[in-house]
Amino acid sequence: MALQANHINKYFYAPDKFQALKDISFEVKKGEFVSIVGKSGCGKSTLLYILSTMDTAYDGSVQLAGENITGKKQDALAAFRNAHLGFVFQFHYLLPDFSCLKNVMIPALRLGKLSRAQIEEQAYEKLTLLGVGHQALKTASRISGGQQQRVAIARALINNPDIVMGDEPTGNLDTRNTAIVFDMLQQLCREQQKTVITVTHDNDFAAKSDRIIEMSDGVIVNQHTR
Amino acid sequence: MSININSEVALTYLIAKKKQTLVASLGVTFGISMYIFMNSLISGTNEYFEKMTLSATPHIRLYRDHQISNSDRLNHFLGKASTNLISNPKMVNSDERIDDPYTLLQALKTNPASLAVSPQITATIICSNGSLQENGNVSGVNILEQDKMFDITSTMIAGTVKDLSTDPNGIIIGSGMAENLSLKTGDNITLTTSKGSTKVLHVSGIFRTTIKNVDQTKCYANLSVVQQLLKKDRSYITDIYVNLKDYTKANRIGKQFELVTGYRVETWQSANEQSIAARMIRDMIANSVVITILIVAGFGIYNILNMMIYEKIKEIAILKATGFAGRHVVAIFIFQALFIGLLGSFTGILLGWLLSKTGSMIYIGKGNLEYLPVSFYAKHYIQGALFGIITSFFAGYVPALRASHVDPVEIIRG
Repeated sequence: MALQANHINKYFYAPDKFQALKDISFEVKKGEFVSIVGKSGCGKSTLLYILSTMDTAYDGSVQLAGENITGKKQDALAAFRNAHLGFVFQFHYLLPDFSCLKNVMIPALRLGKLSRAQIEEQAYEKLTLLGVGHQALKTASRISGGQQQRVAIARALINNPDIVMGDEPTGNLDTRNTAIVFDMLQQLCREQQKTVITVTHDNDFAAKSDRIIEMSDGVIVNQHTR
Repeated sequence: MSININSEVALTYLIAKKKQTLVASLGVTFGISMYIFMNSLISGTNEYFEKMTLSATPHIRLYRDHQISNSDRLNHFLGKASTNLISNPKMVNSDERIDDPYTLLQALKTNPASLAVSPQITATIICSNGSLQENGNVSGVNILEQDKMFDITSTMIAGTVKDLSTDPNGIIIGSGMAENLSLKTGDNITLTTSKGSTKVLHVSGIFRTTIKNVDQTKCYANLSVVQQLLKKDRSYITDIYVNLKDYTKANRIGKQFELVTGYRVETWQSANEQSIAARMIRDMIANSVVITILIVAGFGIYNILNMMIYEKIKEIAILKATGFAGRHVVAIFIFQALFIGLLGSFTGILLGWLLSKTGSMIYIGKGNLEYLPVSFYAKHYIQGALFGIITSFFAGYVPALRASHVDPVEIIRG
């Protein structure tokens, strides 16, 4: 089991007390491609931030890659994210002062398992695989949106994570690039048995994934497997 | 490896914001250079005034104090049978002589702490050349010992101190006196004391200290000449001057001398308390200026790092999302602060040296002070750099801590 969420409740206190998530429980199998859909404000992003370990203020428990992450310290969670999770955000969120290659390398350098030369080689390999190898040495702010998103995916994959999470990974892309990004994520599931969990507005994107979880007002209203 | 990636990120940010980095380090540069310059100037000034003081005051002066009359003698002769009291006791007039001075001189000379020992007698005199007259005072000294102590040689403008030591009837006078009495070396000068004794001496040398009062009144003659003028015997000595190997220990060693010899001791510090006070005030002014500058430089770094963190807050969130822990973020910004501190300290040392060098070329030309007294000690430069780096560290630590508390969710949610 790649992910297990048990009875998650989440409240916001500002401006007024408001329950964003109501007793959410579900599981995701290893190698599954899951899309979470729903209207704006239904709580899908909030759920993703909890699953991604970044938000720790919730009730209930979350297990990722067989490890219970609820109640862990911030620094331990940072190390866990570094080693086991990959992120793709709606906006690429690359570091604009660094080259694309360096952007991809940074999480691996942080992990520190391989030598710099090995990391550089792998980073370049990932960029090439995603079709942006020729942009490797350009500064991240100087390439097009679609290319930036692909660099961001390469960054998410550099530490060979168990789970890749996406927050509207195609929200900012045109149809062609959306298709490319989707294919890449799907390939990860099929060929490398990675688990992919994305939050999306894009119904076409969601329709192609293995499972769709539909949310409304903080509860899961519908789940269907393809 | 983990240190490497933190510093790599930090360096990239520093290079990406060249202007901010430069401005922040310039703050440190000015702080450090002023620290170095102020300290060099103050220590140079202190040394100058200390040298001036020590060119006129011995490290230690031994003399016999007037004593108040006591009942020792009465007790001695009348015994303890009666209680002996002196009503209304007065100071006893003694001739101020030091008993058996040559044994004491020998003992002081062999003391490991002392560098030079010089016996003295002074007499108030009227100097005359024909009908010209000037008031003055003559010090009977062993001129070679005295020269070792006060470096009279460096102030001589005619003749040498040796000329006095070889001529029993010689005298060295100040330039003001020489001018007022129209005297040059080889001329005769008549000395008359208040007791009426007279002596004719020849001028063997003329000195100029640039202190007007000294140049117009002070004379040096041999011990025997002054003893004769005062109609005293050859063992009449009133003062013994002692210079020490380490003049800063004068107070402690002076105390010992006082206890051992029984004579009063005056150290150069107690004889020049006002200049010690002036020194303390100078130190205080310099320190407050320097501390102010360093604090201002510190706030400069603090401000710029704070701004940098504000601008980079999204990137900090991303770094945290991809696995950087709070302590890594702290390390990144501390590295930046230290880099700015190091850069600023290095250029500050250069600028500080340049300022000091330039300062030491400013012409003053008053008294015997030619140029602004500036000292050059490695100590000040090392201290300056150290202070710069420490200030930068603390100025960077506060914003770094703030950066480490960035919540990635809040930033990414937007």
